Parts: sequence; C-alpha cells; structure tokens
Amino acid sequence: MEAAVRDGGRPVAIQADGVSKRYRLGEHRSLRLTAKRLARRVGNEDLPAFDALDGVDFTCLRGEALGIVGANGSGKSTLLQILSGTTLPTGGEMRVCGRVVPLLAVGLGFHPELTGHENVTLFATSLGIPRDAIEHRMDAVTEFAELERHMDTPVKRFSNGMISRLSFAIAMQLPADIYVFDEVLAVVDAEFQARCLAEIRGLHAAGRTVIFVSHDRDQVAEVCERVLWLEHGRLRDSGSPEAILDSYEHVSD
Amino acid sequence: MSETGVQQGDAALAASADALEWPVERLIRPAKRRLRARDLIGMAPVVRTLAARDFKVKYKQSALGPLWLVFQPIALLAGFLVAFRGLADVQTGVPYTVFALVGLTVWAFFQASMTIGTASVVTNLNYVRFTPCPRPAFPIAATIASLPAFAVTAAGAIVAALVSGVLSPRVVLVPFVLVWLVTLTLGLVAISSALTVRYRDIANALPFLLQVGLFLAPVGYPLADLSDTVRAIVDANPLTGIIEAFRWTMLSGYQPSAEPLIISAVETVVLAVAGWRFFSLRETTMADDI
Repeated sequence: MEAAVRDGGRPVAIQADGVSKRYRLGEHRSLRLTAKRLARRVGNEDLPAFDALDGVDFTCLRGEALGIVGANGSGKSTLLQILSGTTLPTGGEMRVCGRVVPLLAVGLGFHPELTGHENVTLFATSLGIPRDAIEHRMDAVTEFAELERHMDTPVKRFSNGMISRLSFAIAMQLPADIYVFDEVLAVVDAEFQARCLAEIRGLHAAGRTVIFVSHDRDQVAEVCERVLWLEHGRLRDSGSPEAILDSYEHVSD
Repeated sequence: MSETGVQQGDAALAASADALEWPVERLIRPAKRRLRARDLIGMAPVVRTLAARDFKVKYKQSALGPLWLVFQPIALLAGFLVAFRGLADVQTGVPYTVFALVGLTVWAFFQASMTIGTASVVTNLNYVRFTPCPRPAFPIAATIASLPAFAVTAAGAIVAALVSGVLSPRVVLVPFVLVWLVTLTLGLVAISSALTVRYRDIANALPFLLQVGLFLAPVGYPLADLSDTVRAIVDANPLTGIIEAFRWTMLSGYQPSAEPLIISAVETVVLAVAGWRFFSLRETTMADDI
C-alpha cells in the first residue's frame, strides 16, 4: 500500500489502473424479457455492450487540481461516479485516499419539504461526514450560500439560484480530502461563478485535491494544474492545461 | 462502502503536508457485493437522519399531523367491528375490540413499512445517483420511521387491554416480539425495494398484495374459526405467527397455536437472510438501473 500511496515524495490521492465500465444496452430491464432470458438460461452477455470507460489509467497526487475534458459521452461522468462510489467499475481498480465530497449535479437530492439546514445535514450524513463536523461547518455553508435568513425555510420555497448556491456551499465547505465537480458551474450566474472559482482555488491552495470537469476552457485553465483528456472512454492525453486544451480544442473544431 | 483499505500509517500521515480529514484508503474494483453485514453498524447516523426525515415529511403540511397515526387503525377497527363482530359474531376468548386492536397494531406497522419501504430506494433516486449514500439506509430508515406509529397504536391496545382487565404481565415481552416483527419487515422490504429499482411492477402490485395479506392474516378473526384448507394458507403467512405472539404477550388467557409461531419464526430467519443477500447483491448497480 505504501508504494501506491507515495509517488516521488508526494502522496497519491487517486490511483486508477485500467478502470473500465461496460453497460449492457437494450431493454433487459423489463420483467417479461427477464423471464424469457431466465427461461432460456442466458444472462446479459449476449446483449450489445457499450464501454463508457475502457481501461483508464491515471494518478492524481494529493493536493493536485486535476481537470478532465472530453466530449459528451467520453466517460467523464462515469469516471467521477466510480470515484465517488455511486457505482462500481466492471474492470480495473481505483485506489482513493481520503474522503470524497462529490458535486455531480446541482440541487438534486435536496428534499423539498425539508429546510435548508436539514438538507445540509442529510446530504453531509449521506457522505459519511460525522454530525459534529457538519454542525461545525454549518455557519460556513450558510455564509457561502448567502442563506442566513433562509436556512430554516423548506427548500421547496427556495429559488433556483438559492438551491444552486446551497449545493455549491455544501460541496465546498464540508471537510473533505477530494472535492469533485462535474460540469456544475454552468448553471449559476457569472458573479457566483467567480466566487466559486475563487473558492475552488482556495481549496487547492489549502492542499486539498480537486477534480474539476468543465466544458469551459477558461475555467479549466484557471483552476487546474494538469488536465486529462478522455475520448470514447479512453485516456487520449494528459498534461499541462495549455497543451491539452489547445489540442483538445483543435480536435473539437 | 467497503473500506478495504486500512488506516494509513502514522509515518505517512506525518510526512504529508496536511493530515487527511479521513485517513482511509478505499479500493474500488469490480465486485458482486461491496457491503458486509457489519457495515450496517456504520450506517447508523445516516439511517437516523433519513428516518427522521421520512417521519417529518409524512406529516408536514398536514393539519392533523401525527394524529393520523391513530385514525387509520381506529377506522379499520370500526370496519372490523361491523364485518366480523356484527355479522359473524366471532368468539375470541377476549373482548373483540382488544383482540382486533392488537392485530391492527401489527398490521398497521407492517403495511406502513412495506408501502414506504418498497418505494424508498426509487424515491431517493437522486441520492442513489449522485451520492455514495449507503443504499440499505433507505429501506431501514423507512421501517424505523413507522415505529412511532406502532408505539402509539400499541399503547392504545395495551390501555384497552388494561381497561378490559385482560392485560397480561407478559406485556414486558412486547419489545422482543417487536424485534421479530421488525426483522421480518426488513427482510421483505429489502427484497421489494431492490426489486422496485428494476421492476416498477412491484409498486402496482403492492397495494393489492397488502389487501390480500390483510385478509389472509388473523388480524380481525381468530384462527380457530377457520376451515383446515384456509387455516393452512393463513398459517403460512409469516405475519400470522407474529400476530399470535403479540396477542399472547398482551392478553391474559389467550392461547396461541404453536404451528404459525414456528412457521413464522423460520420464515423470518429465511427472509431476513435472503433480503440482505439480495439487496447487497443488487445495490452495487442501483445507480445504473434506477
């Protein structure tokens, strides 16, 4: 384990070796089809497959700000889902050191009937953060979201902007080792976007690991030290933001 | 989540620039199962938060709030009084109201848990898709959220038994029978909630199955009145033994029959084990299937 944890003196936060995710296509979920398949004693193996990820290797050092770019369907979100623990890979393995706080979608997961405060507690508890640590950070979450007067209001009365702000506040103010952002900044206004970017740079400066997925070239360049380029579920290239973003945009255009 | 990794050595921690918030290494790799039964203990905080939410949400913006807990069994009791007492004149050995109230206490808990629990994973769709929230927490929390209602109706049944002078000192054993009931419910809810992720058919079938179940359990009638064929079917219902056990603990002079108790105990163990095995197998792909 020590070998995996250290790399040139800096500890490793994430080590991915041949991570693959294969989905089965087709309507194998209906009861009728399942019964048919069971009767014929066949599994899902004959269904057409789709490799969302196909043998991705990378290392992310602790404290690194790593960007991931790639076209829609290149496997970025699947990679983040596996990293966050919402789903398992079908091949390869990934070592993750420390607690991950993922922001995979904005505002989804809030319960409309619960207050802002209750939703923060619920969300953070579901990530495995101890209750006293949550309460300790509650003021920071409230302040960042600018919801001082609304934390005891049910979230169903929140505006979309308030919900987004609360999402970001949770994702940035809770104690974690690895912060994950999946194309989420697009939904907020420019001013709040700038605050979020500053906050993410602050997390990075404080030695936290940041995984940042975005379609916005400027944001990636601003936040990340190194960029991975995914294409059709494979790692096409990795390197400095300038180099990768230039060749990525060259191909996209 | 399976924390296959061990705590990092102190040396590694000291050497790093910042100590980790959570110095645990996870190994994520293909697996049929990633949860072990002992991981359930670590889910206690999230189960508690989810259960509190489920309970709160149920009665938010309802004027009568938790009073609904009492109305449902009382309405059913009134129906039973007409159907079974008035028409069939059931002989139960104890006052009919008390007899039926105990059955309804068990039934109301089972029905509420099954209804909320079966839908628990799919209603938390966004949590399943976007957070690593441990999946078993949803059905467990839904079951626990039905316990306050049980406490209210059980207290009502005990008071009714006391007033009628048929309260048994065995009533101190009620918590043990409750553990039995909760274990059975959890086993069934684990299976039905995991199935619902793939087959929404379960959501349509459940109200109907519960309705049938109500009449195939001795909630409102005594077992002694049944013909042999019907009796065999009712005995096979895992709730039958538990209802009998509750009546035996609460009501003095109540004679339970042994067969349903044994059948139900065996079924509870089988269903609890099967429920856990099925759920832990299915939970790894819930984010993909939902």
